[in-house]
Amino acid sequence: MELILAADLLSPHAGLIFWKALTFLLLLYLLYRFAWEPITTALNDREKTISDSIQRAEKALAEAKQIQADNQKARREAEQEAQRLLREAREQAEQLRADEVQQTREQIQQMRDQAQAEIEREKQGALDELRAEVADLAIQAAEKILEDSLDGARQRKLVADFIDDLPKN
Amino acid sequence: MAADGDDEELDVNYLLIGHAADGYYVDFEPFGKVELPRIFLLKDEQGGWSLDAYGSTKSAVLNGHYAVHHEEDAATPPDDAAAADATGTADPAADHGEAAHSPEETVASGEHLHGSLVAPAGHEIVLDLSITRHYVFGLLAALLVLAVFIPLGQRYKRGIGRETAPQGVFQNMFETLVIFVRDEIAKPNMGDKYERFLPFLLTAFFFILFANLFGLVPYGAAATSNIMVTGVLAFFTFIIGQVYASADHWKHIFWPPGVPVLVKIILIPVEFLGLFTKHIALAIRLFANMTAGTLVILSLLALIFIVNSLFGNVAAMLASPFSVLLTLFISLVKLLVAFIQAYVFTMLSALFIGMAIEEHHDHEHAAPVEGPTPGLSEDHGAVTPHTLMGDDGAARERTQMPQAIAG
Repeated sequence: MELILAADLLSPHAGLIFWKALTFLLLLYLLYRFAWEPITTALNDREKTISDSIQRAEKALAEAKQIQADNQKARREAEQEAQRLLREAREQAEQLRADEVQQTREQIQQMRDQAQAEIEREKQGALDELRAEVADLAIQAAEKILEDSLDGARQRKLVADFIDDLPKN
Repeated sequence: MAADGDDEELDVNYLLIGHAADGYYVDFEPFGKVELPRIFLLKDEQGGWSLDAYGSTKSAVLNGHYAVHHEEDAATPPDDAAAADATGTADPAADHGEAAHSPEETVASGEHLHGSLVAPAGHEIVLDLSITRHYVFGLLAALLVLAVFIPLGQRYKRGIGRETAPQGVFQNMFETLVIFVRDEIAKPNMGDKYERFLPFLLTAFFFILFANLFGLVPYGAAATSNIMVTGVLAFFTFIIGQVYASADHWKHIFWPPGVPVLVKIILIPVEFLGLFTKHIALAIRLFANMTAGTLVILSLLALIFIVNSLFGNVAAMLASPFSVLLTLFISLVKLLVAFIQAYVFTMLSALFIGMAIEEHHDHEHAAPVEGPTPGLSEDHGAVTPHTLMGDDGAARERTQMPQAIAG
């Protein structure tokens, strides 16, 4: 009984083997040709595309970060530059004003000096002129005296009087 | 056999095996049976070859003068059939003894579907190429695989899934399985040469899966519950493995390096046998799993009838809910097993092919690990590719370098 039962399940059947092998080979070929080949290549392509895209995106991100960092750096530098320029300009302006004031002051001083010198010179001139005038007058007086007969005492008195007559300055 | 008298049990056994075994008809009870074509390669007494084809067993018996030789007479060779028939009245079970004489009566009783056919006088059946039930369901599974994957392939060709994301349940579901086979089965077991074998693995996986699932369909049967079918599949694995085998693979079998000569004497036959036992086990594993599921379900249902015959109607009615619930449970298990066995078969195929194509770098380590029994060697075989391919492979290569320089 058991033998027959087992034989039913295990008995070899050449026809089935033949048909099965044929079918499987055909199935393998058809699937390989029309299914696995397009599917697996498509999957590989897609995976490649995705990994490439990710790589590209990562690269782009890194680039963007780099650019951003560069921009930030440039901006900071520009700001620093601007501040420096401003400071310099301010300093320059300060300097310029100080110079201007100094110059004006010097100019005023100079003008005052000039005026003083002028006055001095004028005064000197006037004194000189006066002196010359005085001398001339003295000489004229002397001449007058000489033209008169002169005695010593009178002469001395005349001179003294004359000198006293002279304005004190 | 029936002489013991326990007719009920005999019928149950016969029924179970009849359902699980292959046959030349597809049973659509209660709507009837569809007989399948019979094809025979014949050789006559003059040595001439001929091919005989009939639309059904019935027509072979009625028109082709084929005689029915019942399974229960299997012990007696066909030549003695006439003798057995002559003494047929002595056999209490052989009420079809006379039926064999009249083709019409045999067909009317349906006996022709359960017996094997004997060629008409003067001819000998060389090859029985008849279409069987398991083949029909195998073919259906194959056609279903084609119906699923060829449109899927065209979808990818059109660019859906190539440039864009896969769309729809259909594509996503099967793509997941395809990627599973590729990434979980092919890649880990075959390394970077996996692409060459991926079509075979995918075909095997989906054919087995679909064939397994056919076993769960009403009126259906799992083609994989037939040892011929699983045998053919395992044979393909075997052939592919041997055709693409590396020199190391053969060297490993016929002259395992790093083993004393005395051990080699034992090891070589073991390795050689292991080559076949691995693949035979592969076929039997799938066949046994699928057949067991069918037999368990049928047995659980048959329990109702056995209880009925042993304890009567009431007991049978009480037993039937449990029987049905258990059957439901086993059906769910079968669903799980359908996937698991498709995975296991493909996984082991990938492993065996991967082992055969692999180029070993270290025999000193691998050879002694192979156990003295085929079963053990198979188990270790499951580990070796990984350990060899693994992280310490490079390290071992490095240690071999100084030796090579010294030599």
